[in-house]
Parts: sequence; C-alpha cells; structure tokens
Amino acid sequence: MIKVLIVDDSKFSQKITASLIGKQLDGVAFEFADDGEEGLEKFKSDHPDYIVTDLLMPKLRGQDLIERIKQVDIDAKVIVLSADVQSKVREVVRQMHVLAFINKPMNEAKAKEIAAIIGNGAA
Amino acid sequence: MKELFNVGVGKAASTLSEIIDKKINLDVPDVRIMNMVRGKQELDVFLRQVTEGAAMVSSISFNRQLEGTVSLIFPAEKMHQFIDLCLNEEYSENNSLEFSDVDFDTIKEIGNIILNAIIGELSNTVHIPVEYTLPEVSVLQSARADLLVSDASYHLVLMMYITFNIEGTMIDGAIVINMTLRSLDEILENIDKIYGGE
Repeated sequence: MIKVLIVDDSKFSQKITASLIGKQLDGVAFEFADDGEEGLEKFKSDHPDYIVTDLLMPKLRGQDLIERIKQVDIDAKVIVLSADVQSKVREVVRQMHVLAFINKPMNEAKAKEIAAIIGNGAA
Repeated sequence: MKELFNVGVGKAASTLSEIIDKKINLDVPDVRIMNMVRGKQELDVFLRQVTEGAAMVSSISFNRQLEGTVSLIFPAEKMHQFIDLCLNEEYSENNSLEFSDVDFDTIKEIGNIILNAIIGELSNTVHIPVEYTLPEVSVLQSARADLLVSDASYHLVLMMYITFNIEGTMIDGAIVINMTLRSLDEILENIDKIYGGE
C-alpha cells in the first residue's frame, strides 16, 4: 500500500485531490493534514511515501514545510499542488527538488500526471 | 493596463471551467481604473443593483513590490447554485443566506484559485513577484463599498464587471482590486521597461 499525505487547508481541495488520484491508482492510502505544521507532524510520525502539498497555508507555508521535510529526509518525494501561477514561485520551489509543480484546479489530466509519478516511483 | 487584466480574467474563466467541468462563457470585462472616491461610488451602485445588498466576498491580499487586495464579489443568493455547480451536485433551489463550513471552504478555495490566476498572470507579465496572505471569505448582509475598500493607504480601485454564463446559468459578479498608487507606478514602469511603452 502506497501512503500519500495530502497537505491542504481546504477540505474541498483535499477531497477532490484524493478522489481524482484514487481513481487513477489502486493500492493508495490517503492521509490528510490541514496546515503545514500538521503536515510536518504527520510526515514525521506516519512516514508517507509521497507528500502532495499546497503552498499558501496557515501556520507553516508550503515552501517552509518542504524545507523542513527535506531536512529530515533529503529524498522525500514531494509534489506541489498550488493555485499560485507565478513563474518565479515555480522556479524557487523547483529548486527545492520537488517531483512536480502542478497548478490547481485539480482535474483528471493532472491526477493522471500525479498517478504516473507515483506509479513510476515504486515506493 | 486593461489588456493586462483581461488576460488574467480570461485565465480565471478557463480555470473556473476546469473546476466546474462545464463550458463557461465570460463576458469581456470592462476594466475601470478609478480613484478611491469614484471607485467607492461605482462599487456601491454595483452592490445595490446586482447583489441587492447581500454579497459573498472572497478576497486575498498581496504585498511586497505590489501591494493591495483583490476581491471576488458575487450576489450571496446565487452562491448555493454556484457551490452546487462547483461540487457537481444537483442544484437544490436554495436561495438562503445560510452557508455551512463546507460552503465557505469551497468558495474560499475557488476564490483563491481565480484570484491567483488574475494577480499571478499580472505578476508574470510585468515580472514583479507578489506574496499572498491567506484567502478570506465572508458574507456581507448589507454590503457597502466602505467595507470592501476601506484602507486609506490604498488609493486606487480597479473594477471589472463579470458575468459568468455557466451553461445558461447567469451569475453577475465583480472583481475589485484595491491597490496603492505606488504599485500602479511599478507596473507601468515595468511595462515600459519590458515592452518599450507599447
């Protein structure tokens, strides 16, 4: 079973992301965190295989969460799912060695893209 | 300037189409750039005519080189229909002004995506990065311009009237950007640098 931690302060977004990825992949268990701080705690306690994270969140921003996660495990597999379309933000986050930077809204095509990354990554 | 925002609103419309998974026609918006006094008058007229007083407002602030707040305003009574469309649920003929946490969460996230499209596209075009604060959403029972553009340090109001035609369902709304004059100067300076004042 592949464990995917979805970190997003929107329940609406959590639900859609899990539902669409779940349709593309079998054998995936989702966990959820409502902000960056909770995301970091769950990353440390639950050891997910993949983290799908938003950027603009309370308590701990996505960029800071990724940095803290990478301090714990440099090889952590992080996928960013954000509404931020700024090319500068994309460039900065890409340098943090994330697997992908995908813009919201989530849809079937983007879920397939994430599923392909997870499917190929063989956790 | 108008073209800059038209591009952003076009992007927002296609983004909304993706969320709702339905064809959305968006009337080409008329972007108006006004000083605070004029802007508030215009906004009050809109709020009286379109929202009949009760408005749902989703907003996000941005800072750093550009500083301001952008708000998406819709008549509150249409929002149940809008939320049902977003959640792909059957419309329940609910025109009440009572909203659940799920409703607020949905509108907050959709507002976040649309407003990011508008400001993010602007930021990309003029090569000025911005930082966002967390999005907020509220229902104003007696919406007045003062409640939406109240900060005296902001001097400009940019208004765009938008009509979403979602497979026959018409929803009139407005996007209001409250921005500092310095931000407008920064934008114009960069347009001049990048595009040679064209």
